Amino acid sequence: MTAEKSSNTIEISINTDVLVIGTGAAGAEAAEVISAQGYKVAVAGDGGQDIAQSGRAELIEGAHIRDFAGVAGDFRACFVKDGQRLERNFGAVVIAPGRNVRPQAEPFGLSLGERVITLGELEKILADGNARSKLGGAAVALLLNLTWEGDPQYTARVLEASLAIQQLEGATASIYAGNVKVAAPGLERKFTYVREQGVVCFKPMEKPSIEQTGDKIRITTLDSILRKTLVAEYDYLVVEEKAEPSDRDLDLAYSLRLDTDLEGFLPSNNVHRFPVNSNREGIYIAAPGLGANIALRIKELFGDGVKSVPADRAVVDPEKCTICLTCYRCCPHGAIFWQDGVAAISPLACQGCGICASECPMDAIQIGGFNDKDLRRQVREAVAATQKPAIVAFCCQNSALEAGRAAAEFGMDLPAGLKLIKVPCAGKVDVEFIMQAFVDGADGVMVAACHEGNCKAERGNLFARWRVNEIRKRLEALGIDKQRLLFTTFASNMAKGFAETAAQFAGSL
Amino acid sequence: MKSQNGKVMVVGGGIAGLTAAWELSRQNIGVELVEKSCFLGGHSIGFTCKATDKCQQCGACSVEEMLANVVDEPLINVHLRTEVTGLQNGDGLTVSLTKSDAGPAGGGILRGFSKNNRPLYVVGQDAGDDIPEGAVKITELGTEARLEVDAVIVATGFTPFDPSIKKTYGYGQWKNVITGLELERILRENKSLVRPSDGKAPQKIAFIQCVGSRDKGLGHLWCSQVCCPYAMRMASVIKHDNPEADITMFYIDIQNTGKEFPIFYEDVKSWLKFVRAIPVDIYQVEDERLKLMQLVEGQDAPAMEEFDLVVLAVGITPGADTPDIAKLFNIAVNEDGFLDGGSAATAGVFVAGTAAGPGSIIDTMAGAQKTAYEAMKFLGVTK
Repeated sequence: MTAEKSSNTIEISINTDVLVIGTGAAGAEAAEVISAQGYKVAVAGDGGQDIAQSGRAELIEGAHIRDFAGVAGDFRACFVKDGQRLERNFGAVVIAPGRNVRPQAEPFGLSLGERVITLGELEKILADGNARSKLGGAAVALLLNLTWEGDPQYTARVLEASLAIQQLEGATASIYAGNVKVAAPGLERKFTYVREQGVVCFKPMEKPSIEQTGDKIRITTLDSILRKTLVAEYDYLVVEEKAEPSDRDLDLAYSLRLDTDLEGFLPSNNVHRFPVNSNREGIYIAAPGLGANIALRIKELFGDGVKSVPADRAVVDPEKCTICLTCYRCCPHGAIFWQDGVAAISPLACQGCGICASECPMDAIQIGGFNDKDLRRQVREAVAATQKPAIVAFCCQNSALEAGRAAAEFGMDLPAGLKLIKVPCAGKVDVEFIMQAFVDGADGVMVAACHEGNCKAERGNLFARWRVNEIRKRLEALGIDKQRLLFTTFASNMAKGFAETAAQFAGSL
Repeated sequence: MKSQNGKVMVVGGGIAGLTAAWELSRQNIGVELVEKSCFLGGHSIGFTCKATDKCQQCGACSVEEMLANVVDEPLINVHLRTEVTGLQNGDGLTVSLTKSDAGPAGGGILRGFSKNNRPLYVVGQDAGDDIPEGAVKITELGTEARLEVDAVIVATGFTPFDPSIKKTYGYGQWKNVITGLELERILRENKSLVRPSDGKAPQKIAFIQCVGSRDKGLGHLWCSQVCCPYAMRMASVIKHDNPEADITMFYIDIQNTGKEFPIFYEDVKSWLKFVRAIPVDIYQVEDERLKLMQLVEGQDAPAMEEFDLVVLAVGITPGADTPDIAKLFNIAVNEDGFLDGGSAATAGVFVAGTAAGPGSIIDTMAGAQKTAYEAMKFLGVTK
């Protein structure tokens, strides 16, 4: 699939078919916008007849991913449908996350039933002319963000539903709320309007106590404004629906090697992934309203189906590789696979962070622009040329290098013996570079990374910190002051912080 | 370099304009990026990193990165210190540009917030020869021209709420009553927090939320979306730096910061005192400390409490020149006074960022991508 173009770039032909996983609103929107760009789209999931009927995408109905392999431009998905295996190739994948909805009746000691319903059930009743009539004359209480924090979309749904109830003959709606999430266009105005229409909003100081007796629901609260206990009776109680990551998404995260956030939602909580990227090139996370954003990323990835990429972004020496799979396991971008008996790195999926190169026990991987020989030479020169104390600072090009250069540019005081060495990511700072710096005569070594949670390679900064901690132990064992090795984190706009940390470090040496 | 897919003018060089310009250039569309001030980056290029030892996902570094992208992109032609004065709609759009009056007066020198600002320094007309290397004289900045483009994206941003309008807070009168934007500046330019009055580290700090937002009396029936996140993040930075700091937040409803909010909020609640009430009056007492009177939930009498520093979480209001811009580009204004994004789309005029309503850095970037996509559709580059 690859052809030599010149010595430093290669052309890769890309499969421009797109797999969308999920048939809900976000999946349908993504499918529509992507197919409008002229790419072939297949949508996998349950239901989704409307997508099939639109003619914009093929529907792989009821199919679930069993195996998944490959890299951006050349993914292979193996589905199981009706007991049959179905294998298909795609250039990119879009996941429309699902949500497990957990009704919050139990936290109040209640069970769902005729009178205790979820917001989703209420919305169905309100949408159905016949069913709706049973709410006529009823007093309805809606709970909002008392058992979980919710989000503006959920608040909007509660406001809409309570307004619809209030407009029914003789019916009243009351909202019992924790933090009302109005951080979305038009929501504060809506919240004000809903209250003007007669919907009462209580903001209890503590979690209300709720009892059901027959057809009546009694809510007792300590009201924060009136500062007394309020008791009110209702005919219906609408409990919250807490959103949790779907089981399907957790399975997908595992089989597609995607990072989730700490709650289990895709993708990881990393500002560089917003709004639609994941830790892997060519795999995108959809949400309603983000179809255009995904289309832009896919257009950029696919181009006209042939992509020019640097040939030396990350190169494996087949003579040295023993297929130990260290690189495969530590690559945060899922860019490494193996073929012909050695590890192979996709130049399209690889982001050039160099974690693999530093971790490879055989030193079999070299990163374009940052090969080991060059970096070792830079360390030697840095130590040889500097004034005292000689400090070698390995700086991530995304953060610390920018901060350090800004400090210099802005004329801030930097130690005279400080030399910055640019690395693609702190994850590319090999143990041997640090040791060599000391052997060559450095008084201090700084490994300067991105803050935890901000690394473009997800864990490059953690690898760097782990290595530094190990080396500090070794230094101590050798009788060398471990304070001469510093791990520190910066953002690109922290010129002042960089200058102060560097000065402090120099002072300590 | 000749662009292949048409040309778009982006008005405003804040994060929305930068993002839109960059996305257009990705699709090989030429961009004329017009910025009224002497520097690209808008409000957010001056924001502080809000990481403790962990990143808090504020997006300030993304602005830095986007600025670096844009200044290196040959398809994007930047016009600093330039304003749009006219728009003619014929076969395409003809935009008249003129020099703005922004910049340092007399012999003053201004520096951009980022090392990626080009130029980094702008000096006033009367500056002598002793000026920083690479500095540009104000008279050399600005474009006078009429340019033909295929579409326009208006990304003229917001005006922070002026808290002196709410007189009882004593902003401008008491030195230690500052805005959230001023706190950004203090944290960025000092390693740790200092009080404006004496440069000392404040121990007792109050944040007052919703200053100028969610305020029926002002007719501001919107949530500014950014203030809860920035206040909680900066409070975390202050607490991380000084574990003894005693921080209180007065609020109406706490809004989410983004992903993992429940985990973040639980942590913040363990050390930050949340009071669901908005104080009405601030008085200055001894040592330039500040006394707040507030009605507290569950208490009959108003409580008085003293603080070393009070931070007013000012919100986002429509850009001061919104009426002029609306008229110039024939864009409707919505009931909150922001530009109505879709109202001029058929004429090839689109709106991005906080000019259309409040939004965080990352939401603004996502929205600006979408606006760029709409402009591409208008050009026929996307469908």
